[in-house]
Amino acid sequence: MSVRDRGRAVLERLVGASATERILISTAALVLSILVGAVLVLIAGRMTTCTANEAVYYFGTGFCYDPIVVFDRLFLGALGDPFSGGWSPDGQFSVTLRETTLLLFTGLSVALAFRAGIFNIGTQGQMVVGALATALGVLWVSPLVSGVVGTVLLVPFGIVVGAVFGGLYGAIPGLLKAYADANEVITTIMLNFIATGVALYLVSGAFKDPESAANQTVPLPEYAQFPTVLFGGRQDFSLIALAFGILAIGGLYYLLEHTAFGYDVRTSGIQPDAAEYGGVDAARTIVASLTLSGALGGIAGAMYVMMVLGTFQTGFPDYGFDGITVSILAGNNPLGVGIAALLFGVLKSGTTVVQFATDVPPQLVGVLRGLIILFVAMPEFFRLIGKRVTDAGSKPVATDGGRPGGEDDE
Amino acid sequence: MSETSIDSASRSDDGFFERYSSRALIAAVTVSAIAALLVGGWLFPDSIVGTFADVVTSRNTLSSALRLSVPIAFAALGGIFSEKSGVINIGLEGLLIISAFTAIYVTDVTGGVWVGFGGGVLASVLLALLFAVVTIEFRADQIIAGLAVWLIALGLAPFASQVIYGGPNTPTVPTPGSITVPVLADIPFFGALFSASPSVYLLFLAVGLSWYVFERTTFGRWIRASGENPKALDTAGVSVTRVRYAAVLLSGVLSGMGGAALSLDLGQFTGNGPTMVNGKGFIAIVAYLFGNYNPIGAFLSTLLFAGLDAMQTVLQLQGIGVPRQLIRITPFVVVIVVLALVGRTRIPEAAGEHYESGEE
Repeated sequence: MSVRDRGRAVLERLVGASATERILISTAALVLSILVGAVLVLIAGRMTTCTANEAVYYFGTGFCYDPIVVFDRLFLGALGDPFSGGWSPDGQFSVTLRETTLLLFTGLSVALAFRAGIFNIGTQGQMVVGALATALGVLWVSPLVSGVVGTVLLVPFGIVVGAVFGGLYGAIPGLLKAYADANEVITTIMLNFIATGVALYLVSGAFKDPESAANQTVPLPEYAQFPTVLFGGRQDFSLIALAFGILAIGGLYYLLEHTAFGYDVRTSGIQPDAAEYGGVDAARTIVASLTLSGALGGIAGAMYVMMVLGTFQTGFPDYGFDGITVSILAGNNPLGVGIAALLFGVLKSGTTVVQFATDVPPQLVGVLRGLIILFVAMPEFFRLIGKRVTDAGSKPVATDGGRPGGEDDE
Repeated sequence: MSETSIDSASRSDDGFFERYSSRALIAAVTVSAIAALLVGGWLFPDSIVGTFADVVTSRNTLSSALRLSVPIAFAALGGIFSEKSGVINIGLEGLLIISAFTAIYVTDVTGGVWVGFGGGVLASVLLALLFAVVTIEFRADQIIAGLAVWLIALGLAPFASQVIYGGPNTPTVPTPGSITVPVLADIPFFGALFSASPSVYLLFLAVGLSWYVFERTTFGRWIRASGENPKALDTAGVSVTRVRYAAVLLSGVLSGMGGAALSLDLGQFTGNGPTMVNGKGFIAIVAYLFGNYNPIGAFLSTLLFAGLDAMQTVLQLQGIGVPRQLIRITPFVVVIVVLALVGRTRIPEAAGEHYESGEE
């Protein structure tokens, strides 16, 4: 069985599940991951040391971390404590929206490739390349303009540069897959390592900011960064970027559902042989969808440079891998990516609040990321539970795996 | 369905000769490049070619190539067991990460290096068990579940290190030291084979045993059948589910040995960024694909990747002017080039598919 056939089988299963069922599975996966996370926090609380009165007691045992406080901080903290009065959009809430914005783009990047039947694990690398290109490109052009005109020109310019370079970097695994049959999962993962390595080389050498100890480029001028609207800007969040992200959701949805290219992508994802028989140029579709996917990753990088950091620095956060979680949680549906990005944005922003409040390390979100993917990947588990809860005997439908149309075994 | 499988079978037949020849081609190019280098170095000892030849024939290169091979080759062996049985285990990286951390933690707590080694293996087996349950019992997609295993370990190991040691890196623990065979260790170049960490000898043993299991035992035949034609295995009265569980758990054992050896040989786990494992699990996948699912082939291709890595370390010591950061990415570039040339590898017929026994 070729990788392609297998990919098709996966997508059939994912697409086959009804929307309601998928939402139920994603929600159940999220809840279950959080419960497992809570158990993990309790275990971690046994392994670290604290004084007796710092500890909380459950079931007669003392724990250093209180999972209830952790999850209170995680969710309410991420939303800027809406129930305790004095809520302002400039607090932690804008961090949440900032994370959401970046996750929107990486999530859409993964989702688009997924719809074409391609696992793009390389969004991380495409983002790094896009970010570095944006930082260098904008720095190079910025002396030519300044002020408001500078912002109006440089921000779109930076996004275009990020998209182009991210897209070109995404085209590499696309070409390798289309013309050399190289498995994209491996090539994209390797390209992630290469992107990080080359970026480190460039930023620690030729393009290093001589005045900084960190491996980073010279900071972009203020006018080359996203302007802040409504939100105070203390948290490096721009409503314009979020609006652009929401536009991208709509754009990708339209592209996939209402254009000829989208039709090619979807049919190649679901039924590659039928698509080829129907006249779809398989190689071209693979390269095009990975290029576009890379461009979305590159935009995420551009956003990170021009909205959050104001420079390119090595040790780029894992938004690309988080994008896999977001996309899988959303069932690879662009509209779902919006909701999933917000949920995961809350988790990401919340973990920093948790760290301040309880000393629980922020790496917790990394574990949750993996758990969510694991649980969403096993819908059968939830179906089994669902079957047990809702009386096993009376529902023969559940035995065909819940696929509409089933396999018609009879 | 039958049409597509015939179709894909014929397509992979087409690819067979191409693939075979490109594999042979790469091997031939490698061998002749090394030969040319040696001759060139012998003729012009003072040129850059001479330096390269010195590096290639240096005993240090061989010994560090062997050391670097250990985690990759162990994981590759594990990957062969799993994938031959029909379960694509892309989570090898995660198994290496979790065992590398646990080995150091257990060694730190108990003081025994070998107890720590066992702890690392156990952690990897438990994670592999989770992967097996999820993919075999709950029919999760193998690639996505494998990614999850990787990402869980990538989060969990630094999380645990942060909780226990207050930072992503652990303190150092004693290393197992090296075993030296007298007399044989004094042979130039090949002496490196006889003065190495115990994990290198364990690896030789594991490569030999894995080959033996696949070629000479019933269990090895079951594994192959479970990946190529599960229905036939089922008809013969052997449980496909059990064979797959055994194979995935074995991949946990082997990867665990690799991960534990990786961290224990250095005496520390570093958990920043991609952690100290840094893609070795993924290189392992390419190594066994390139080695055509043969344990010995996988070991030799690992040695090729690790040899490149070892050469760059030695070259750096000699002050050859290629930037360190760029040399570091050579193994990844080579992996892509190899994949581009080898292209489609014939994966086991039923790999990636869930097998539903007719019972119930």
